[in-house]
Amino acid sequence: MSAGPASAAGRARRTELPGVLRHVRPRPRWTEARLLVFAAAALAVGSLTLGTTEDGRLRFAQPTQLLVYLLALALAHGAQVVAGRRTDQVLLPVVGMLGGISLLLMQRLPQDLVVQDWFGGEVGLATVQLVWLLLAVAIATTLAIVVRSDAWLRRYKYTWAAAGVGLLLLTFVLGTDVNGSRLTLEIGPLSGQPSELLKVILVVFLAGYLSENRSLLMEQDTRVGPFRVAPLPYLAPMVAMWAIALLIVVVQRDLGAALLFFAVFLALLYVATGRVSLVVIGLVLFVLGSMLMATLFEHVRTRIDIWIDPFADPLGAGYQVVQALHAFARGGLLGVGLGAGLPTVGGRLPIPEVHTDFPLAALGEELGVVGLMAILGLYLVVIERGLRIGAAAADDFRALLAVGLSLVIGIQAFIIAAGNLKVLPLTGVTLPFISYGGSSILVNAVVIGLLLALSDKGVEPPPPPTPPRRGRLRRRCA
Amino acid sequence: MDGALALLWLLRLLFLFLLYLFLYRVVRALLHDLRTATHEATAELGRLVVVASPAGEPVAGTALSLDAITSLGRDVNNSIVIDDPFASAEHAILTFRGRGWYLEDLESTNGTYVNGTRIEAVAPITFGDEIQIGQVRLRLERARR
Repeated sequence: MSAGPASAAGRARRTELPGVLRHVRPRPRWTEARLLVFAAAALAVGSLTLGTTEDGRLRFAQPTQLLVYLLALALAHGAQVVAGRRTDQVLLPVVGMLGGISLLLMQRLPQDLVVQDWFGGEVGLATVQLVWLLLAVAIATTLAIVVRSDAWLRRYKYTWAAAGVGLLLLTFVLGTDVNGSRLTLEIGPLSGQPSELLKVILVVFLAGYLSENRSLLMEQDTRVGPFRVAPLPYLAPMVAMWAIALLIVVVQRDLGAALLFFAVFLALLYVATGRVSLVVIGLVLFVLGSMLMATLFEHVRTRIDIWIDPFADPLGAGYQVVQALHAFARGGLLGVGLGAGLPTVGGRLPIPEVHTDFPLAALGEELGVVGLMAILGLYLVVIERGLRIGAAAADDFRALLAVGLSLVIGIQAFIIAAGNLKVLPLTGVTLPFISYGGSSILVNAVVIGLLLALSDKGVEPPPPPTPPRRGRLRRRCA
Repeated sequence: MDGALALLWLLRLLFLFLLYLFLYRVVRALLHDLRTATHEATAELGRLVVVASPAGEPVAGTALSLDAITSLGRDVNNSIVIDDPFASAEHAILTFRGRGWYLEDLESTNGTYVNGTRIEAVAPITFGDEIQIGQVRLRLERARR
């Protein structure tokens, strides 16, 4: 009797894998096409507004750049139509809109904020950002079309986690300090911010770990006072995650990444288990950690002091935050219009880091509360799509991956928006798809590409779980 | 107010309007998506996909809809009849209790296996787990949406 199932398990494995481009059957995507047309119209009018404000007569601001960008979006749409993919049709237009707003903003800012030497010529802020955006569209589309199986993420989750930790350590040791934070890793001609990539690796690992141990975290009870909590060995990852977040704050001085990682971790833990007690424990750990950090480390305390009262030192430490608040105030309800805000003080911008840390302040001034709400609405749509893709996913790993990926973008947008508006202490994370920066835009493109691939209705079914590991864990717990 | 300034303001308001028009169309697409999803949704809480069934009943490859309580066994009064010589008449019962699925072995002769491990009494299971009753193997999957 017992010999039967073992031999049958081998036979049931699927032998034929769906090829990437074997059965190409074009399939129209009307919703996406329609939404892209609306996005293109809005961006064209935005460009017209910007050009007219700058020039005094009716013209577009740098029409070729916008045209190239819109063409790239159309190509991305066309490629998915030709490949016949049944992926999500709302994500590309929404993210394309955010990228378009970013392009308009970068065209509007002084071009010498960022100057890169590419192929002998010097190129300014908007051109560099356009190149990143084009690469991002290419990456997202390629992933959406090519990725047909999640085995490479599911099976190697510990390898991914090890790679992530290795990347983190590499940054600790070899990273270069920029603005007092050790974020940038330079290897030869390449430089980038590994913490951006790390957030994706974190989500992949957590999705794998939680989907495997979900039932254990949900079922077993240990009583600690009035709380019912999961068995203590399974809280170890939580404590480890907390320690890693604190380590990032201490060594890398990167408050934003630490906050993002821990928030994503708690959110995924809650999604996987539905237990409020775990989240409460996490929040208590978070508050304790923050208080510890604030008493021990100068750079954390400075951030919190600025947050509580930026006007205590309006020309020094609190300068950027105060200027951002003034920018929001100048914007009012409808804004002053694209290109009309941000008065330069003595030839320089009031907010030095406007293109990376404060794009929302610039947009708040020029588009007003009304425009800001629309932009935040676009981020909400990204989160909604992630949750929806997760709800329709075939198994727990895919569900948690989809939810985690969209929450990474949503929580990051929330952290920096709240930092700009003085709701939270300011941390140096980027506003996804809008901030200037190669690492940020490319990694977020990978996130969107994976979300699109996960939403595909025609992908390979998930593999059956591997028996030995499950058996071992269950016995140890019982 | 001169013409150029009026035109500029018109353009600015038009941009904000188009931003919201885009958002409105997006939200409409989302609502449409959700509405079709709720229309399609049936009462099923999950599905059992028959992975292997040497005896031919249930047929391998079919997906069976699950209610909150599903009884499995060889007897014809079971919700899912498993016509296998190694299955007991009342073999196991699969229940959905609030947050998760549970499989209970009803003291069957040859036992109930989850992912190759024999279960004692009640065991929690999740989507993707493989149940084995006799020679019949079934995989628990999410409800089709």
